[in-house]
Amino acid sequence: MKSVRLVAIAVLVLTALTVLGARYLAPAGYEQQFREMPQAAPSAHHLLGTDDLGRDRWARLLYGMRVSLTLAPLAALFTTVLAGLVGGIAGYFGGWTERCCKLLIDLFLSVPWLFLLITVRAVLPLNVSPEASVTVTFALLGLLGWAASARVICAGAKNLMKSEFIWMARASGFSGFKLIRLHLLPNLRGALLAQFWISIPVFIIAEANLGALGLGVSEPLPSLGSLLRELQDAVMLRPEPWRLLPLAVLIVVISSFQVLLNKEEVRS
Amino acid sequence: MLRFWGWAVLRVAAVMLMASFASAMLMRIAPGFSSDDQELNSGLSSQSIQAIRQARLMDADIPHFYASYVASLIHGDLGASRSLNQPVKDLLRERLPVTLFNLAFALAVGWLLGLALAIAAQIWDTRALSFFANGLSGTFISTPAAALALVFLLLRWPPAFAAALLVYPKVYRYTQNLLQQSSEMPHVLTARAKGAGPWRVLAWHIAPIAFPQLIALVGVSISIGIGVLLPIEVVSDIAGIGQLAWHAAQARDLPLLVNLTMVVTFVTVCATLISDAAQRGLSRSAA
Repeated sequence: MKSVRLVAIAVLVLTALTVLGARYLAPAGYEQQFREMPQAAPSAHHLLGTDDLGRDRWARLLYGMRVSLTLAPLAALFTTVLAGLVGGIAGYFGGWTERCCKLLIDLFLSVPWLFLLITVRAVLPLNVSPEASVTVTFALLGLLGWAASARVICAGAKNLMKSEFIWMARASGFSGFKLIRLHLLPNLRGALLAQFWISIPVFIIAEANLGALGLGVSEPLPSLGSLLRELQDAVMLRPEPWRLLPLAVLIVVISSFQVLLNKEEVRS
Repeated sequence: MLRFWGWAVLRVAAVMLMASFASAMLMRIAPGFSSDDQELNSGLSSQSIQAIRQARLMDADIPHFYASYVASLIHGDLGASRSLNQPVKDLLRERLPVTLFNLAFALAVGWLLGLALAIAAQIWDTRALSFFANGLSGTFISTPAAALALVFLLLRWPPAFAAALLVYPKVYRYTQNLLQQSSEMPHVLTARAKGAGPWRVLAWHIAPIAFPQLIALVGVSISIGIGVLLPIEVVSDIAGIGQLAWHAAQARDLPLLVNLTMVVTFVTVCATLISDAAQRGLSRSAA
C-alpha cells in the first residue's frame, strides 16, 4: 500500500510539474490553429495529433490540465471557507442558529449534488466569454459543494465547544472572536484541511461532467472537462484511440488523489 | 414511533417545498428568464407571441407562481410544461418508471458488486484480489459519469450498467472499511483465537455490527444514483427524469423544473429517512 501511495505522490508531482511547464512542453498555444493539418495523426511535432480545428491536442491537454488543476483547488478553498463559516457558526452558537444552519445544509444535501450542479449550470447563460465561463463554472462548484463539508465542521465545532479546554478558556474570560481565533480554528484546522483536499478531486470530476455535457469552460479555453467533448464523436474513437488520453489522464490524476485521500474520505 | 414518523413526514414536506421554491427562485433570477426561443419563430402570430410573453410574466412573480402552484398541488394538479405543451403529470408518468428502473438496476448491481468484492477481500485477503477491487473502485470513482456514458455508448453496453459502476466504489470502500474496523474488535479476535472459520466470524460476529451501519449508506447511494443518471440519460438519450430535467433547465421551463426538483428531493429525502430509521431500529434491536 505504501508503494501505491508513493506512485500516487509521484504522479501528482509529475502532473504539477507538467502543468507548470506547459508553456515549454507544448509546441504551440492552446488556441493556435494549424489550418493545413486538421485532424492530423500523432507525429513528432504534434504528439497527440490535432483536433478538428487543427489545434495541437497535446498543448490543449497541458493547458486544460492547468485550468482544471489550478481552479479546482481555488473552488475547494472557497467551499472550505464557506463550510467553515456555516458549520463553525452552527457549532459555536448552537440552539436555533444551529438548527437553521442544519436546515440549510439538509436543503442542499436533499438534492443530489450532480443533479443540482448540472441543472443550475444549464439555467445560467452559456454564450459567454471563456474567462466568464471558467469563473461561473468554478464559482458554482464552490457555491454548491459546501454542504457536506459544513456538516463535518459543524460536528467538529460542536464537540470542541463541549471540551474542557474551551470551558476553561471561557472561564478565563475568552469569548467571541478571540475564542474562535485562538481555540476553535486551530483545533478545526485538520478537519478543514481534510475537507479542502477531499473537495479537489470531486470538483475536477464535476467540472469534467459539465465539460463533457457542453456546460463547462467555453472554447477556445481548454479544461479537462471540455477536452472530453471529443469523446462525443464516438465513431472516431476506434481509429483514433489517442482521443481517450484526456480521460485516461483525468482518471490517473483523480485516482492518485483518491489513493492519498482514501482514509479521510471514508471517514467523512 | 408515531411521533417519529409524524415529524419525518413534516420534515420531508418542508424540505420538498423549500427545495422546489429555491429552484423556482434560482430560475427566476437566472439571466434570460424573460426571453423565450419561441418568440423567434416567424411562423407564430403576434397574438401567440403575446400569449407566450404573458405566460412568462405570470411566472416572473415567483411568490404568486409558487402560491398558485402549491394550491394546485394540493388538488393533485402538477401544472403543464411550457416547453413540451404537456401536463407534467403525464410527463412524469411516462418518464419516472424509466429512471426508477435504471436506478433500481444500478443500485442492485452496484451494491451486489460492492458487497461481493468487499466480503471477498475480507475473507480471502489476497493481495491480487485487494489490488483488483481497489483498482476497480479507484478507476470508477475517478471517472466522470458523462464520460463513462460516452464510452458505454461506444461499446453499446447498457447505460444503467455505467450508473452501477459509479455507485459501486462508494459501496465497496465504505463496506470494506466497516468490515475492517469490525474485524479488529476484541470479540472478533477472541472468536478467531477460539478457531472460528472466516465465514462463521463474518456471519456471526462482524455482520451484526456492520450491517446496521451499512443500511445508512442506502440513502447516500440512492442520491449518488440519481445524480449520475442525469448525465447518463442525457448522453445516452434515455427518456427519463434526468433528461427531462436537463431539457427543463435549458428551456427555462419553470413548472416542469419545480416539479422535477420536488420529485428528486422526495425520493432522496425519503430514502435517507427510511435508511436512517432502519439503521436506528437495527442498532436498537442489536443492543
